[in-house]
Amino acid sequence: MSNVEFIKPTSLQDACEALMKPDYLAIAGGSDLIVKMRNGMYPNLKGLVDISGLPPLNTIRTDENAVIIGSGCTMNQIAKDQLIKDYFPALAKAASTVGALQIRNSATIGGNVANASPAGDTIPALFTLVADIMIIGCNGRRQIPIVEFFLSPGKTKLAPGEIIEGFKLLLRKTRGEFLKLGERRAHAISKINMAVSTWNDGKNHYRIAMGSVAPTVLRCREAEEYLESSEQLDDNTIARAAEIVSETAKPISDLRSTKAYRKQMAGVLLKRALQNLR
Amino acid sequence: MQENLIKISFSLNGNAVETEVSPELTVLEMLRRNFRLTAAKEGCGKGECGACTVMLNEQPINSCIKLAATLNKADSLVSVEGLNEDKLMKNIQDAYVEEGAVQCGFCIPGMTITSHYLLKNNPNPDAHAIKQALSGNICRCTGYRKIEAAVKKAADRSSKS
Ligand SMILES: Cc1cc2nc3c(=O)[nH]c(=O)nc-3n(C[C@H](O)[C@H](O)[C@H](O)COP(=O)(O)OP(=O)(O)OC[C@H]3O[C@@H](n4cnc5c(N)ncnc54)[C@H](O)[C@@H]3O)c2cc1C
Ligand code: FES
Ligand code: FES
Repeated sequence: MSNVEFIKPTSLQDACEALMKPDYLAIAGGSDLIVKMRNGMYPNLKGLVDISGLPPLNTIRTDENAVIIGSGCTMNQIAKDQLIKDYFPALAKAASTVGALQIRNSATIGGNVANASPAGDTIPALFTLVADIMIIGCNGRRQIPIVEFFLSPGKTKLAPGEIIEGFKLLLRKTRGEFLKLGERRAHAISKINMAVSTWNDGKNHYRIAMGSVAPTVLRCREAEEYLESSEQLDDNTIARAAEIVSETAKPISDLRSTKAYRKQMAGVLLKRALQNLR
Repeated sequence: MQENLIKISFSLNGNAVETEVSPELTVLEMLRRNFRLTAAKEGCGKGECGACTVMLNEQPINSCIKLAATLNKADSLVSVEGLNEDKLMKNIQDAYVEEGAVQCGFCIPGMTITSHYLLKNNPNPDAHAIKQALSGNICRCTGYRKIEAAVKKAADRSSKS
């Protein structure tokens, strides 16, 4: 028997107002939320606010020199989108590794980010693409760079009544890679994942981010700077960069993996990613 | 305690339907309880096994992690029962039987509906594409080889006919 209230808002504004109430949660694809509800993680849940039917959240569009990815876009939608594949390959690849086919049809990018798991696969990709998170609340809109959004596992800067409307990425062609290691290849939560994006505007830029090696996704500035200052991407450069990320990683040992393994694999993943980008 | 019922309408196996669901009822539970459509099964109840796979707007989803209350009027839900008259589905089901790909049968509705989606969108999948498409469907009995062979056989047969 359930006494949870179910709200189907017809506008973003109504959704935000409904989410002002304590113990009301937004539901998008439901692939994280329903599993957690089943596991008894929300004993005080009072209401669900279904944001899956709000059309502005479900599109990928360009706006002058930016691309706006609606928070309700599913992983399959993102993985198949030609613009995303051409401009932001690290994100297209990350989305295509989430779960299996069935999960990717439900799982949304907004849910992946809002859930704030250190293992969320689209998060490192969005870090490397310098995404801004577009937030809407009862009192209007604001934007936060994704590197500032996460506080701790499961905790973000979203205030009550706020939802993620979308992600804003500069319309700039990048090359990129996303790699992850899990227990097995099909739909396993990452033991460690890594995204690399690179672009050239007269000078080479690199962005590297990895997940599951710290309480929140970690950007590896030192390795980025080292690569940007290197003349070319030869074997020695790649080996040195791999050493640097391995040192930067601050992983823990948990159910899924050990600290030593994660540190070593951070280097291995960067090496593979850079070799693929050569 | 008063139960909160929500009225929903959507298309089920090609027909417009209406029903009432509690907020936490999943699409899987709704199919089985409200409509007595029992092909889709609960294996894990958490998105991991694919036994509950159904088509929502022509895409396979795990119905155990989709709330029925989130269905909208424009949504089209198709379960294995909705494909009873479908030639490609019949071909797939025959191939599963011929190849001995069915043992206890629990995973089979999910396997066959996912196979149907695959062959509809990629009539001649290679071995890798078959494995990839079925990677969200777990079978505890067969070891997958016969299932993969069945999908291959169904594909070869449909492309000839
Ligand atoms: C079997 C299985 C395999 C999985 N594999 C992976 C994997 O490989 N990689 C991976 O990263 N994840 C994986 N996941 C986790 C999950 O599918 C993803 O995190 C997914 O992207 C969540 O999106 P959703 O729309 O389903 O979120 P929901 O479950 O609807 O929501 C998740 C949380 O985010 C909040 N929320 C949702 N949308 C918004 C919004 N727009 N604004 C504010 N808050 C919001 C909700 O209130 C809730 O707290 C897996 C899950 C399952 C069940
Ligand atoms: S019962 Fe739905 S995926 Fe296992
Ligand atoms: S035949 Fe028994 S689970 Fe597949």
